[in-house]
Amino acid sequence: MPPAAGSNLGYKPPDGGWGWAVVFAAFISIGFSYAFPKSLTIYFKEIQEYFSVSYSEIAWVSSVMLASMYAGGPVSSILVNRYGSRPVVMVGGIMVSVAMVLASFGTTIIHLYLCVGVIGGFGLAFNLQPALTIIGTYFQVKRPIANGLAMTGSPVVLSTLAPLNQFLFDSFGWRGSFLILGSIVLNCCVAAALMRPVNKCAQPNPNTDSPQFNGAVTEGADADTSTELANPLPGECQDESKSKSCCSKFIDLSLFRHRGFLIYLSGNVVMFFGFFAPVVFLAPYAKHQGTDEYSAALLLSIFALVDMFIRPITGLIGNSKWVRPRIQYFFSFAVSYNGICHLLCPLASGYKGLVVYAVFFGSAFGMLSALLFEVLMDLVGAHRFSSAVGLVTIIECGPVLLGPPISGALVDIFGDYKYMYYACGILMLLPGIFFFIMHYYNYKKLEEERRQSTAGEMRTSEEAVQLKMDQNVKTTNETDR
Amino acid sequence: MIPGKRRAAVMSFSMAIFGTLMLQSVSSQNEPSISASDQTTINGDVDSITLQCNLTSAYETHQESFWMKNGEEIQLTRGPDKNTEYKLNRPRAEDAGVYMCVYTFNMGPSANATIEVKSAPVITGHKRSENKNEGQLAVLYCKSVGYPHPIWTWYKFDNGAFRDIDNSSGRFIITSRDNYTELHIINLDINLDPGEYMCNATNIIGNNTEKSVLRVRSLLAPLWPLLGVLAEIIILVVIIVVYEKRKKPEDLQDAGPVKTNSTNNHKDKNLRQRNTN
Repeated sequence: MPPAAGSNLGYKPPDGGWGWAVVFAAFISIGFSYAFPKSLTIYFKEIQEYFSVSYSEIAWVSSVMLASMYAGGPVSSILVNRYGSRPVVMVGGIMVSVAMVLASFGTTIIHLYLCVGVIGGFGLAFNLQPALTIIGTYFQVKRPIANGLAMTGSPVVLSTLAPLNQFLFDSFGWRGSFLILGSIVLNCCVAAALMRPVNKCAQPNPNTDSPQFNGAVTEGADADTSTELANPLPGECQDESKSKSCCSKFIDLSLFRHRGFLIYLSGNVVMFFGFFAPVVFLAPYAKHQGTDEYSAALLLSIFALVDMFIRPITGLIGNSKWVRPRIQYFFSFAVSYNGICHLLCPLASGYKGLVVYAVFFGSAFGMLSALLFEVLMDLVGAHRFSSAVGLVTIIECGPVLLGPPISGALVDIFGDYKYMYYACGILMLLPGIFFFIMHYYNYKKLEEERRQSTAGEMRTSEEAVQLKMDQNVKTTNETDR
Repeated sequence: MIPGKRRAAVMSFSMAIFGTLMLQSVSSQNEPSISASDQTTINGDVDSITLQCNLTSAYETHQESFWMKNGEEIQLTRGPDKNTEYKLNRPRAEDAGVYMCVYTFNMGPSANATIEVKSAPVITGHKRSENKNEGQLAVLYCKSVGYPHPIWTWYKFDNGAFRDIDNSSGRFIITSRDNYTELHIINLDINLDPGEYMCNATNIIGNNTEKSVLRVRSLLAPLWPLLGVLAEIIILVVIIVVYEKRKKPEDLQDAGPVKTNSTNNHKDKNLRQRNTN
């Protein structure tokens, strides 16, 4: 039985049917959001020569894009709360497309910062949040699998975009490539078209068409006689596309009093300092050890391949009946596993050791990414998820941006990569242990609260039965008289 | 002529000749003479080349000797030897050049002898391929090592063979110096300019060539894929929206009973339930 947090949606999510099309749409949106900034680095050398700027000035384009993507989180959440996922993703896709087309005509580097960085970043933010949110509305029982599959978008799109970008660059130069990328990104609008808002009135019978009519009727009869809590009022069925009237229309700041959310946030802020740096430094570390460029690039491919496969597998494991109720422990395990991987990395000797490290790191990274948003949904529930993810991304903005440069500084100061790996390992192991302890405490508290609330319900239903019996006695007394 | 005067003229003439001869021998005695090995050519078969210099005569003992290559002193060659050697192990084209053995003296200028080590030019750097847009400037270059410095020529592959570049449009500029040459093509023309270019370095010993490929991208080239992708996206969106619009009226039928008020609802449901029964 999943814990209490997510089940008070007010309707029964389909857990299938059109939900899988939505997972595919989320796959595309999430894939573009994470992979797009990384894949643009292929053009940097040529652009750097064209505008005659230094390497760090070019690297700022990527940083500004990532920063805008994370900072746009709350804006995206507000819009999703107000308008639903579909319009926001549509707007996001168009924004990124326009940004790339404008950038292809750019004349200065500032032009690129504004177009690709700011507008593009915001557009990607408008893709990421709604995609995550809509999965929560369509899935409840199979949510970990859906999340795992959707998050697989990131490595798959990255491995597709990287060689595609290289090909486009050779054929068309960077300006032509930006133009074509602007149109490729419009696939996010196709994904938006697939993100149909969930139908809260139709009962879940995904494979039936004509029998659905009967099914709806008989279950509708049942619904009328059951308590009003489980079904929305008839008037709300037509308002599916409007905001959920039970939640605040703007961002839900009461989350800062939510215990699970605070645990998640505090752990993540520390963890993200050491999250991306090892990925960034994998190839340079390999070259430092003496491997040639192609073998170093092969390491990254191995990492991406393992990452790609481990994400759906993690989703499946997370969905199994042993793990699902205690999925927070699984997440804590994933974080600690990452930390241990990094701490053991300096022991890897030679190219074979690095390959082993890449495999383990790939699995750790994939596990963590697949569970990252699933556990947040599990903690705060699908209703408040969009606000939660907005707040989380804007607060994570700092660590994500500062992590790689600080690690780079560590490498420069000590001249050796192992101190950076030790630092990243500790920065991930500590939150892992923190999560284990805090979630043990949190689960206990949730159990207590649930026992109290069910006891309270039993008391009120007993009182209701008592009241009815008294009423019957009264009426019989009255009729007798 | 008066007999006395003739004798005086002959005397002074012979004195002059004797004087110059004496002067010659004296000055040749002052100048140091060095016997140096002959100029050599580097080619693949030679395992090592030894350059020798011997100071055969000098007006005083020399101070030290060292070697120079192409006007710069070679490190770690200073020594007191009169008979000095410099060995080139497994010589390659970059070892070719003008070598000098230099002897320094305490009083007087230093003496030197030059030995030329020649080789055919070997092209060490060139751009294998260059992609540029229409109307831009393309620069192809070639770098070489070897001595003497080669004469550079550029060719373009046309009609099955490498021919001289036709510069009637004036867009081709070749700048060469010593071991480096550049071919500038301004205002690239997408019809005439793409293709294979060859730089040729020739000197008295031999020659070498390297090829570079120049590709010119049309400015309108990205438009076709752009329109193609846009078309694909519009088609997909239209398909998805049409599919949804066709499903929606059916969904609305399901929600139909819920729209009316509850008592009618019960009546309809009872009706249907009776029918199924």
